[in-house]
Amino acid sequence: MTRRKFIKSAALATAASPLLPRLARAQAAAPAALKGNIHHSVCRWCYGKIKLDDLCVAGKEMGLVAIDLLNPADFDTVKKYGLVCSMVSNPTIDGLGGIGKAFNRLEHHDKLQSAYEQRLKEVADAGFERLICFSGNRAGLDDAQGLDNCAAGLKRILPVAEKLKVTLCMELLNSKRNHKDYQCDHVAWGVELVKRIGSERFKLLYDIYHMQIMDGDVCDTIKENHECFGHYHTGGVPGRNELDETQELYYPRIMQAILATGYQGYVAQEFIPKKPDALASLRAAVKTCDV
Amino acid sequence: MNRRKFLRSAALAAAAAPMLPTLARAEDTAPAKLKGNIRHSACRGCYGKIKLDDLCAAAKEIGLVGLDLLNPADFATVKKYGLVCAMVSYPTIDGIGGIRQAFNRVEHHDKLVQAYEQRLKETADAGFERVICFSGNRDGLDDAKGLDNCEAGLKRILPVAEKLKVTLCMELLNSKRNHKDYQCDHVAWGVELVKRISSERFKLLYDIFHMQIMEGDVCDTIKENHQYFGHYHTGGVPGRGEIDETQELNYTRIMRAIVASGYQGYVAQEFTPKRPDALASLRQAINICDV
Repeated sequence: MTRRKFIKSAALATAASPLLPRLARAQAAAPAALKGNIHHSVCRWCYGKIKLDDLCVAGKEMGLVAIDLLNPADFDTVKKYGLVCSMVSNPTIDGLGGIGKAFNRLEHHDKLQSAYEQRLKEVADAGFERLICFSGNRAGLDDAQGLDNCAAGLKRILPVAEKLKVTLCMELLNSKRNHKDYQCDHVAWGVELVKRIGSERFKLLYDIYHMQIMDGDVCDTIKENHECFGHYHTGGVPGRNELDETQELYYPRIMQAILATGYQGYVAQEFIPKKPDALASLRAAVKTCDV
Repeated sequence: MNRRKFLRSAALAAAAAPMLPTLARAEDTAPAKLKGNIRHSACRGCYGKIKLDDLCAAAKEIGLVGLDLLNPADFATVKKYGLVCAMVSYPTIDGIGGIRQAFNRVEHHDKLVQAYEQRLKETADAGFERVICFSGNRDGLDDAKGLDNCEAGLKRILPVAEKLKVTLCMELLNSKRNHKDYQCDHVAWGVELVKRISSERFKLLYDIFHMQIMEGDVCDTIKENHQYFGHYHTGGVPGRGEIDETQELNYTRIMRAIVASGYQGYVAQEFTPKRPDALASLRQAINICDV
């Protein structure tokens, strides 16, 4: 961040809190009614400079019904605005549970079990339904062994997930550009894990941005594997910015492919706004994806 | 093709020859002047029901400067219309030279050398600059051995290609859906072959349709590997139909990536028109790709 950017963002952060609701309302001068086929959500971290209360108000106004990747401390805030947390953030324990170190190592399983069982209860208590999880990095582990280890670790947690009716979703991330060495980096590997576990409470988070970088073939991949996908994230390719004409995917067609599968879950925007008005970018993305 | 479709297409074919130039002109009520940054071509085979003369006349009017995948017998026709053959079709000899049986087998090389040397001369004599070639299917051959064999075979032909200033372009095709078992199915493998051969007269034909199915990451792949690409093909994903909003790629952005790489060659449309007016679909594609 350059000094100029820092000063501007600091000024924005200070000003944002009282101004936002009014601004958001003003911007929605001609609020296009959403079609309601896609349940729109957004990842909280992409709007880190905006207070959660303000993001909830603005999100609600533009037609979002949920926010992704919140910790339990934030549950009350979203509920206050009538929103849900459509994908709860991962717990961490002694440095385990995040993207780099998670279920693909047996030596992590005891700790992950205790952390995830607690988090599952918090999710269920709040009335939410999905919790994210990760494979961890390979760090020399081959894909077959990583699959065995993930299956073993997750199976220890699934009885609780099933009882509480909360779905664990392992995210597919690209290992080519952003998350070097991450193991759950191809649809085929993830689908094999879902099949081995064989529970309605374990699915994949198909991140369209990450999988366009790794696998391409987005619409047909969704058509052929949707029963293994429990959630979707977006992002412009290349660059992970706005979903508009600045990037190579045509998102309305991809959303049509998701709808055609009968999907009833959420689609969460996870791009990093590049334009100065982050909420205008979010509004545009929601419109792009409203099919 | 059902009966109704057959009758309609037969009627169209019968009517097309005399009517086409008039029709094309009538449709072109507001002829958008092309920018000239992309040199547009189209694959002849996608318009098989249209006579080559009619296709040339229509192509010229739409703004194309070349046609792809013609045999020498057709060279005089395109030249008559002031067009070039941007990518000459492969020769075949005793069933060898096509997609499935080509340079990845040492036992094919004697025949391929003979057929390609002749085709290279025909290409140079016509003043054209590119000839397509293929790896062939794996058929049990591992990728390292296939690479060795392709390298050995192509190196026997390259002295002639270099002398005649004609570039051989090996096409990247998807082995996932359309060309099961084809060996040159990933950019990394093809790039390794180009590096090994290390001649300005051997490059890859990066087919955007095929590589979106195999790998995705289109713009950054072009940005990072354009020096190995000598030609581009298009096509809608999924389905290989029109490249418009019926498919998942934003071709305009991809063309910008190609132009940004400093590319001076041709981009050839290779979608199969799904709508009844094939030339209207071609015109639309050219407008989408004219950046």
